[in-house]
Amino acid sequence: MSTSPLLKIENLRTYFYSRAKQAFIRSVDGVDLEVNKGDTLGIVGESGSGKSVTMLSIMGLIAARPGIISGEVWYQGEKRINLLDGLKDHLNVTEENGRVMGIEKEDAQWQRRLEANMEGIRGKEIAMIFQNPKSAMNPFFTIGHQIVENIIKHTPYKAREEAKDRALYWLDRVKIDSPKLRFFNHPYGLSGGMCQRAMIAMALSSEAKLLIADEPTTGLDATIQSRIADLLEELREQTGVTIVIISHDMGVIGRLSNKIAVMYGGRVMESGPSAAVIDHSDGKSHPYTEALLKSIPKEDNLSTQGHLNSIDGEVLDTINVPKGCRFATRCQRINKSIEERCKSEEPPLADVSTGHKIRCWLYAD
Amino acid sequence: MNDAILKVTDLKKHFSQGKGVMSFLQKQTIPAVDGVSFEVNSQETLGLVGESGCGKTTTGKLILKLSQPTSGSIVYDGIDIVPMTNRNFRPMRSKIQMIFQDLDAALNPKMRIGQILSETIKIHHKELDDSAVNTRMYELLEMVNLKKNKLSNFPSELSGGEKRRVGIARTLSVNPKFIVADEPTSALDVSIQAQVINLMVDLQKQLGLSYLFITHDLRLMELVSHRVAVMYLGRIVEIGGAKQVAKHPHHPYTEILWSSLHVKQSKTIVKAPKLANTAAWDVFDFSSEDQGCRFAPRCPIFAEKGQPDQCKQQAPTLKSCGEGHQVACHFPL
Repeated sequence: MSTSPLLKIENLRTYFYSRAKQAFIRSVDGVDLEVNKGDTLGIVGESGSGKSVTMLSIMGLIAARPGIISGEVWYQGEKRINLLDGLKDHLNVTEENGRVMGIEKEDAQWQRRLEANMEGIRGKEIAMIFQNPKSAMNPFFTIGHQIVENIIKHTPYKAREEAKDRALYWLDRVKIDSPKLRFFNHPYGLSGGMCQRAMIAMALSSEAKLLIADEPTTGLDATIQSRIADLLEELREQTGVTIVIISHDMGVIGRLSNKIAVMYGGRVMESGPSAAVIDHSDGKSHPYTEALLKSIPKEDNLSTQGHLNSIDGEVLDTINVPKGCRFATRCQRINKSIEERCKSEEPPLADVSTGHKIRCWLYAD
Repeated sequence: MNDAILKVTDLKKHFSQGKGVMSFLQKQTIPAVDGVSFEVNSQETLGLVGESGCGKTTTGKLILKLSQPTSGSIVYDGIDIVPMTNRNFRPMRSKIQMIFQDLDAALNPKMRIGQILSETIKIHHKELDDSAVNTRMYELLEMVNLKKNKLSNFPSELSGGEKRRVGIARTLSVNPKFIVADEPTSALDVSIQAQVINLMVDLQKQLGLSYLFITHDLRLMELVSHRVAVMYLGRIVEIGGAKQVAKHPHHPYTEILWSSLHVKQSKTIVKAPKLANTAAWDVFDFSSEDQGCRFAPRCPIFAEKGQPDQCKQQAPTLKSCGEGHQVACHFPL
C-alpha cells in the first residue's frame, strides 16, 4: 500500500478567453484535490462551477484556448508521473497583483507535449463516462465496434475475436439484456439508460484504474437513475476501481461517494468525508454546501408558505471574480463581524477536523 | 371542492408508424395516450408523472390543441375544445398556455427579449399602443423578478434561470388561467430550480392560476402539486392527493417509482426492491397485443401470483380506493 494518493491535483487553473467581453473566463481557478485508491470522490456544484472542466483538464481534453495555464496533476500508476509535466515551457503567463493579464502559448508544441504525457494514460489508466452518452459515442458505428476498438487499443486482447468476446463480457457485466443483439446496435437504437450502460461498459473495458463519471445519471428517469447508481456501486465493489463522480444532484453524490468536494466559481469550497460534508458529523459546514442541501426538494426543506429554500442570485460570473470570498454576495450566514473580511480577502481552505476542509472565514481560525 | 376548470375524458392519441421494409403497407399504431381521464380544479396543481415515453408531454400538447386527439373530449370551462377548428380556438389560446420544456428551442435566438415579449402582447391585445405594451412588459418583468436591462439581450446571453423567467413572463403576458408546465425545471440546478418553483407557487396565489405540472422529478412533484396522476404507457394507473399517493401508493408501479427515490435519498444504503423482470425494465413494447394490464411484464405482483389470467386478458380500470384516490390494478397494494 503506497501512501501517495492515486491522483493529486495541485493548483490547477484552466482559463478560457471570451472575445465578446475581452476578458478571461476563470473556469477552474486554483483547484487542489486528492483521490486515494479505492475511494469514490463526489464533486458537486452548480453549473458553471468548473466541475466538468476540472476533469476534462485532467484528461487533456480541453480544446479551446488558452486552456490549462498552470498546475500539476500527479498520477500514481506504475510510477508517479505529472500529467502536465513540461507544459510550462510553452506558456507565458503575465500576472499583475495575482490577476492574469495576458497569456502567450505555443499551441503546437504545448499540444504535442500534452499528448506525449497522456500516452498510455488516457483511456487506459483513466477512463471517462461522458455526460451525454448519445453524443459521446460515434453514431456511425455499432456500440460493439466501439467497445472492441477500445479493447484492442488498451488491453492485451489484440485479436478481433478475442476482443469481441471480451466486449460481450463487459456488456453482460453492465446488465444489458441480450448483449449479443445489442452488440450490433448503433447508439441511436438504444434507450437513454441502455446507452449509459454501454458507455460504462466501454469505459471499464480498458480495465482502467480510475473512472471519471461526468453526470452519469442526469437526464435519465428516476427508476433508471437508481439502477445506474446501483450498477456503479456494484462494479466498484467487484472491480475495486477508483471513481470520481461529478453531479449537481446531492442525492446521487451522497449515496455513491465516501469523499465529497464542493465546488463554486472554479474553486473547491469544502472537501472531506461525506459524513462530515453531508451529515455535518463534526457540526461544521460551508454556507454554500448548507444552502445547496437546503434547496433539495424535500419536506423538511419546505417553508410555511410552501416555498422551497433557494439560493438567491445567480451563479458567480467567473470573469469578474471578486477580491474576497467568491460566495459572499449570496451567502446567508455572512454577519457584521466578518463581513468586511469576507468582501476584501479570500479565505483559505482550512482544516476544521480530520480530512475536512472548509474555505470560509467562519472557520478560518 | 372547487369546480373543475378542465375536464379530460377518455382522451386518446394514436400515432401511426410504418413497420419494416413495406412500411407504406403495414402501419403500426402507437397508442401514446390511450384513454386518459382527469380533472383539474381551479387554482389547483395537478402533477402528471411517469417515465419518459409514457405520454405525459403528448397529453399536455393535446390540451393545448397543438396536436389533434384521435378521440375523447377536453372540456375547458364548459366548452369542449376537441371539435373546434383552430380558428375558433384562437381566442381561447390566451386562456390556456404552455411553459415549454426546452427554452433554447422555444425562444427565437434572433430576437431580443423585449421583442419576444412585446410580440405576444401585440398579437393578443391589438388595441394596445406602444407605450401600453411597454407598461405591460415592465409589469411582467416585475412579476417574474427580471431586471429591465435584460430586455435588450438575446436569449443566448441569459442564464438558464433567466431564460426560464422569460418563458414564464411570455406565458403570463396574455393573462392565462390554465398553464401546462412541461418539465419547467428539468435543465436547472437545484438552487435555481427552487427559485423558479417558488415563483410559480407565488404566481398561482396572486393570479389564481391552475397548473398541469408535467415532470419526472418525484420529489418536486410531491411538494408542488395538490394532486398527482401517475401515467404508465399512455394510461393513468393511479390518481389522488399528492401526499396520499406518495405515502400510501396502491399501484405496484407507483410503489416502485417512489421506492427508487427513497433508496436514493437515504444515507444508509438500502437495496432497491427486487423487480420481477429487470430485463423488461429498459424496453417499451407497443407492438404486443393491446390486451390486459400493460404493466404486467414488469409487475412484481403479477409474477408473485403466478401470472393470473385476469392481468393478461383484462385491462384494469380506475377504481376508487380511498377519498379522491383511484387506482387501476386488479390486485392493488
